[in-house]
Amino acid sequence: MIKPRRTTSLQRTQQRMAVLFILPALAVYGLFVLYPLLLSLWGSFFTWKGLRMQEFAGLANFSRLFVFPSGARLYGALWHNVVWFFGIMVLQNGLGLLFAWLLFLRGRGAAFFQSVFFFPAVLSPVIVGALWRLLLAPGGIVEWALNGLGLHQGSLTVLGNSYTALGMLIAVDAWNWMGLPVLIYTAGLRQISPQVFEAAKLDGAGHARMLYAIALPLLMPALGTLTTLSFINTFNQFDIVYVMQGVQGNPSYATDTLVTYFYRLAFGAEGAVGITDIGLALALGTMLFLILSIGTLLMLRFFDKRTVEL
Amino acid sequence: MNTPPSQQTLAILRRLAQLPGWTILLAWTAAVLLPLYILIVSCFKTTAEIYDNRLGLPQSWAFDNFVRAWTRADLGHNFINSLIVTGGAVVLTIIVSAMAAYPLSRYRLGWNGIMLGLFLSGIMLPIRLASVELFTLMRSLGLLDSLTGLILVYSAIRIPFAVFIFANFMRVLPSELDEAARMDGAGETRILFQIVLPMVKPAVSIVAIFSAIAVWNDFFFPLIFIFDDRYKTVPLAISVFVGQFRTDWGLVFASLAISMAPILIMYCLLARQIREGVGAGGGMK
Repeated sequence: MIKPRRTTSLQRTQQRMAVLFILPALAVYGLFVLYPLLLSLWGSFFTWKGLRMQEFAGLANFSRLFVFPSGARLYGALWHNVVWFFGIMVLQNGLGLLFAWLLFLRGRGAAFFQSVFFFPAVLSPVIVGALWRLLLAPGGIVEWALNGLGLHQGSLTVLGNSYTALGMLIAVDAWNWMGLPVLIYTAGLRQISPQVFEAAKLDGAGHARMLYAIALPLLMPALGTLTTLSFINTFNQFDIVYVMQGVQGNPSYATDTLVTYFYRLAFGAEGAVGITDIGLALALGTMLFLILSIGTLLMLRFFDKRTVEL
Repeated sequence: MNTPPSQQTLAILRRLAQLPGWTILLAWTAAVLLPLYILIVSCFKTTAEIYDNRLGLPQSWAFDNFVRAWTRADLGHNFINSLIVTGGAVVLTIIVSAMAAYPLSRYRLGWNGIMLGLFLSGIMLPIRLASVELFTLMRSLGLLDSLTGLILVYSAIRIPFAVFIFANFMRVLPSELDEAARMDGAGETRILFQIVLPMVKPAVSIVAIFSAIAVWNDFFFPLIFIFDDRYKTVPLAISVFVGQFRTDWGLVFASLAISMAPILIMYCLLARQIREGVGAGGGMK
């Protein structure tokens, strides 16, 4: 008779304590993340006057997004984000696999190399962008080195040239985050039983074949994590562009991304002044939200199906 | 007679076969360390010296650039703001997330799953896209141009990841732990802060390290919420310096060095924990 009463009273206390304990976190998270996010999605279906919501407009903001004058900016930014994503997949996640594999084969010194490779990843993209802006500037050290080696002549303008600027920013981003794939692949490779590699070696498989035929299929979860993270990062890209090329994505929008375009629509071209179009900004935000959520879900499913268990 | 030399040759050949690999690894090491080396030595050079003597050590180890960056460009002020914001956000995140994770991972409430899911969904949410409504909210709460405002926003963004980590670590603690304490008449608050939290110290350090890095480095939210120079954080100030002091390279290099110093020190002390934390979960972002 006593025991059930004690349990229920304990449970009642726990329910009450749980609410009290969860409330602070839920209040902060709900107020500053969930509430503004839901309101932004909702607001993208309304017309706006400055920062004030007017009346329901259906999909009007979305259709304005795709036509003149916004259309050119939107397609340009979207294209740059897509190029950026594939560039990062090759430069960062591809090269990172090579580095991780080489470290895995050697074993010795792995911790040292990993620490060095990961170091730029703890720096702010602002610092990384500012540093590379100075190094790549006309008259900077990269120009001096290339000219000295006879590989280049005159003033180095890779950041001012619309054909090379985007590629430079992608390379800087890859430099920034190279340590991430190296660490994640290494953790994945360590989970593979050494006997698998020994058996392959006895069968006469070379290192390249072992990487391609054995390690890569077993690294699918790692590759899935990296692809998803790179996708999310790329489509949120803002800091490096802002610091190296300005909020317009100079030269002449050649490095514009969806988030820099969103920022200009929402907050104006230069800080707090300039023309804003909140309706367009929110529509772009909703579209980006959909791209990110659907893309992430599809990628997780894609890599889940290809996960091989031994 | 023939066998030992041939084995030696084989060993040498094996070493040689590793040479291209080592070259690749060392090349990337140079690609990482050389820019940082140039950053460090340029801090001690005048702008003229930066042009004349590109790779060498500076003529004298003068701290002029640091002093000018700290005082004339007022980076010292930004530095203190960043410390306050980072410290405040990390402490607030740890306290409220540990409090939320405790009942969610150790009580049987019937709604643990839904609530945990609500928190976890925030790990992936692109919060920057909500910045318009967030701006309106902050303005009506009087939290624009305020370090408190930044602390609250950063905590809100870091809470999902922190709840996830704390719940994972707390779930596997033996249930006798809190039951015994409860028998002894300890209240739930005391059980959490004096018994459970000390048992999940690795979780506390993971949350602290990754939140501190993310908050210290963030640029987007100060950019949209802070207009007054008095409240600017380091990354925001740096983004201004790069344009403002374009010709004064020594000063910009010194500001970069100052702003990465805390993270650099932390990284040297905690490199192993950071490597393991990232490798285990990719929990960086």
